[in-house]
Amino acid sequence: MPKILIVDDELDTRQFLANFFRKRKIDTFTAAGGQEALLIFEREKPGVILLDIIMGGMDGVEVLKRIKERDSGARVIMVTGKSPDQDIIKKCKDLGAYAYIHKPLELDELEKQVLSLI
Amino acid sequence: MAGLPRQSAVASLLVTNIMAIDYKRELERAAKSMILVHEPNLLIKMIVRLMVQRVEVKHAGVLLYHRDKESYVLTVSRGSVGQKIPSGFARMDLDNPLIRFFRERHSRLPGDGIIIRRGIDKLSRSRDFSPESKELLRGVSYQMDILEAVVCVPSYFRDNLMGVLFMGSKKSGRDFRRKELDFFSALASNVAMALRNAQLFKDLEGELDKNKQLFINITMAFVAAIDAKDHYTGSHTERVTDISLKIAKGLIHENKVKIDNNFLEDLQIAGLLHDIGKIGISESILNKREVLTDDERTKIREHTVLGVNILHTMGNLLRQPLLGIRYHHEKYDGEGYPDGLSGEDIPLVASIISVADAFDAMTTDRPYRAALTKEAAIDEIRRFSGKQFNPWVAEIFLKLCHEGKI
Repeated sequence: MPKILIVDDELDTRQFLANFFRKRKIDTFTAAGGQEALLIFEREKPGVILLDIIMGGMDGVEVLKRIKERDSGARVIMVTGKSPDQDIIKKCKDLGAYAYIHKPLELDELEKQVLSLI
Repeated sequence: MAGLPRQSAVASLLVTNIMAIDYKRELERAAKSMILVHEPNLLIKMIVRLMVQRVEVKHAGVLLYHRDKESYVLTVSRGSVGQKIPSGFARMDLDNPLIRFFRERHSRLPGDGIIIRRGIDKLSRSRDFSPESKELLRGVSYQMDILEAVVCVPSYFRDNLMGVLFMGSKKSGRDFRRKELDFFSALASNVAMALRNAQLFKDLEGELDKNKQLFINITMAFVAAIDAKDHYTGSHTERVTDISLKIAKGLIHENKVKIDNNFLEDLQIAGLLHDIGKIGISESILNKREVLTDDERTKIREHTVLGVNILHTMGNLLRQPLLGIRYHHEKYDGEGYPDGLSGEDIPLVASIISVADAFDAMTTDRPYRAALTKEAAIDEIRRFSGKQFNPWVAEIFLKLCHEGKI
């Protein structure tokens, strides 16, 4: 069963996305912060990581960097709520993020993108 | 897509007409809320809550059109854990099949336009439709699946799709009844109306803001005209305005007077324009270095009335500022000009400007004399409180000076 890891500090978002992907027969893991995300990443080796950029504590860019240090082939989709900050997008690209999407997002596109990677 | 049966007929395939709750009463209640609630987002939240609680659906939400984003954004969602979509998380663009279906088809559709997932699925398999129509219907069905929606209700104002209400299955697992669908449809038109009203209101406010900005720009042009004429004036106008506003805020703070909302704005305009009448006074008098003759003094005094004459066509807009312009040289003891008003007969706006104007005039070099020190000027205000100046206003002014705020 393909695996996805959802990293977001908002409970509603984690729960919704977990439900959304589980319905699509994807083994779904969630993390509320960076440290937890790295632990699950090590343990489960998910095929796709959905990573919120703006989080309290360790932010998404830092988590991306550490994931890429562990596995440069990990496919990480960055998600953010604010209108895109070009510097951050560039940083994510340089660090090897697979894609960048910002909220509000199109759920069908998200589904397509994730399914194509798994 | 021509030839689709009426949507309400589609709906009726799945609907029985047993009435479990009094929808008429619920609707009346919702309509009442709509009148009371002017904030459409709040109303929509109430409506979604109503759907979840009263009709007992697992979840419900609303997609609302955003002009600037050119898409429909999921604004409100309610339901059980994992089904509630976080507000602002998802959107549907104009090319989304569900949005296309509602945007393109509504004008040709009789009935309320409600769609039910099973009805759509059934139609998408029908042999009566073109492949394109069937593809669109399959797209609609897929989008409903993404939202976990069993029913979608479009919300139109005239020909514009303002939003889409959607809801999941009932907790009981039963089908929706005709009465319930009618209820949703009525709620949807409430939503459209509320959104439309809010939009109109916003447009109107925008228009007012624009006018206000134009008005401020014109006022500033007048100020520049005064400055060009009277060299000393310069930032005098701005300082008087600034001090006047501080006094007024002090009065409000001390609860000394009852002041309405527009007072500060009016005072600001009055402060900026209080000397506008000087445009009509000869520069040789305004900038004269020697002591003025009686005739010249009389001339200069005319600037109060001249100011009102210059602005009288804007009388409706400037009722209170005009009082400030006309009466800012009146004295509390009745010895001022142009009308010799006294005491509380002098409008407050003028009494405030009077103190600010006198203070700034004393502390500035004039063509005919050097500036007083700030302390000396404050002493003068104190000495003439109740004579030249309204004592309440002077008291606040002195307090502000004492606190170092002026």
